[in-house]
Amino acid sequence: MIARAASIDRWRRLFVIVGAILVAYALLAPITSLDAAQSANVPLLADRLWFRIATIIAMFVVMATAWNIIGGITGYAAFGNVAFFGIGAYTTGMLVAKAKWPFLVALPLAPVVAAAFAALVGLPLLRLRGHYFAVASLGVGVAVGELVQNIDYNGQPVFGGASGLFLPIFAIDNRGLFFFYLMVAVAAVAIAVTWRVLRSRFGYGLIAIRENEEAAAVLGVNTTAYKVAAFALAAALTGLAGGIFSQWNVFINQDNAFPIEYNVQMILMALLGGTGTVFGPAAGAVLLQLLIQFLGGSLPISVDIPFVSVDARPIVAQVILGVLLVVVVIFVPRGVIDFFGGSSRLSWSYLRQSLRETSL
Amino acid sequence: MADFVQLVILGLLAGGIYVAVGVGFGMVWGVLNIVNLSHGALVIIGGYITWQLFSALHIDPFLTLPVDAMALFVFGYLLQRGLINRIIRAPLLLTFLLTFGVNLVIVNILLLIFGSDFRSVTPSYSGQGIELGPIVIPYVSLFSLAVAIALSAALAFILNRTRIGLAINAIAADRDAGQLVGIDLRHAYAVTFGLGAACAGVAGGLIAMIQAITPTAGEPYTLQAFVVVILGGLGRVSATVVGGLAFGLVEAFGQSIPGSGSVFANAIAFGLMVLVLVTRPQGLLGRLR
Repeated sequence: MIARAASIDRWRRLFVIVGAILVAYALLAPITSLDAAQSANVPLLADRLWFRIATIIAMFVVMATAWNIIGGITGYAAFGNVAFFGIGAYTTGMLVAKAKWPFLVALPLAPVVAAAFAALVGLPLLRLRGHYFAVASLGVGVAVGELVQNIDYNGQPVFGGASGLFLPIFAIDNRGLFFFYLMVAVAAVAIAVTWRVLRSRFGYGLIAIRENEEAAAVLGVNTTAYKVAAFALAAALTGLAGGIFSQWNVFINQDNAFPIEYNVQMILMALLGGTGTVFGPAAGAVLLQLLIQFLGGSLPISVDIPFVSVDARPIVAQVILGVLLVVVVIFVPRGVIDFFGGSSRLSWSYLRQSLRETSL
Repeated sequence: MADFVQLVILGLLAGGIYVAVGVGFGMVWGVLNIVNLSHGALVIIGGYITWQLFSALHIDPFLTLPVDAMALFVFGYLLQRGLINRIIRAPLLLTFLLTFGVNLVIVNILLLIFGSDFRSVTPSYSGQGIELGPIVIPYVSLFSLAVAIALSAALAFILNRTRIGLAINAIAADRDAGQLVGIDLRHAYAVTFGLGAACAGVAGGLIAMIQAITPTAGEPYTLQAFVVVILGGLGRVSATVVGGLAFGLVEAFGQSIPGSGSVFANAIAFGLMVLVLVTRPQGLLGRLR
């Protein structure tokens, strides 16, 4: 038993060290692309393609971590968080493109509007539980995207309509680097917020709601206020990521601001890493997004999938993603953090046990 | 007035499709407590079977419906037995994700096989209808409504009058007590899911006659099935029939509002659903449990 605990401890230390090195590399490598670094003959460790992928990964770290606040900590299976991403994107997009606000002034309004919307729809929706909440939130996600694309006023689309919204390019040197660090900063904020929440009265209240909502209410937790606050907090973080996305990508429309598949991706990321934990969703986001980019063939390191033509590749990638989803759900329902984080080890008996726990 | 009557008729006829899509979904949800996010994908499999039989062998599409039902019963049975039974006691979120994963796999395999081209099934009588003065009743929609009602009746018969149906009802009421009296749970669950999938297959065959299908065309039907079941109330076939017809009517009238068009179809459906959930969570016909 002691030997086993010691070996788990070793695993855990190794995991933390490797993770820290990888994070440090990912954060520092882009600096080598600065002109100053190039003229000092520092070798180029990351090019623009890498920033783009790294920025997307950081964006998903924000979304998965934010989802974890409502889905993992509070236990409400929100399936429509992409609505907040889109609302954040369109808030910043409208202010920058139509009202001609500077980006950095418009950005803080993205989380505010997203959180206000979440509080507004959260009041009725969070009265629902289980399947009902999940699908009602999914409905909100779909409906908001549809409304944003199709609302007309005097025959003119209010939010750019089907042709989308173009933002003026944000004038700054090393733009790719700027947005990468901005997104990473938001990811760090999201993780810090989760860490703080889990150690606060508010967080204990949310966990109590997840474990037993009636008991939480009896203990004096104002369940409605707590749930709505958690929903709004998740929405604010997701909306902030959306606001950055709109200026970074310069163009937004229904397809890239309200992609329905993000809903499931952020949940799968949180699940893969471990729901209810501080770093689990972030780790899951990095793993899964790297895998998605790898399967999609956009990583510099790429492997040909046998018997698959180039055209069919994205489709096969989706099939692999679906199979992965099924395998993760059946065999590692508590996430990989369960064994990397130190509470158990990856072994046949672990997989068999998780299968037995949920099987009929 | 004629416009109004026409709208009511078209709404009820469109409702037939929603009934067919909703009954299987509602039964699986009620008995297995699983919201099957791959339901739309099963619907589209049925659509492709009908299309394949119609375009390759020139079989009348209505005659292909039993083939859809049988093929999807087998597929659904195996899916439940092999995969979904493995997570039946898992938290709700996991059942969602598993069925979504299954959906992703099915849709993309269909894309690999059939490509993303639109396929439609057009028998000689499509586009024709009964004309009663200014009112037109299309044959295909009329037959589809009849099939949907017959399908619901058959499902109600199986659930209430056969041995396996009574077993399904028993495990829906109390799983452990059902096991105590000797019901083979794995088999009964798999039959339930198979029946649900068979209904989805028939719905798919009907849908292929009414709209052009692609592998991704099923996703809206999963959401609509959910709305239909909520609207009627969970747990009874007859409630889903009412829910489906009501949904068809709401949609027909929603789309007839000037300036709205069909682009707000999802927004209308979900607005309605949230309204029902918040004000009358047991559905129009449901009883509080």
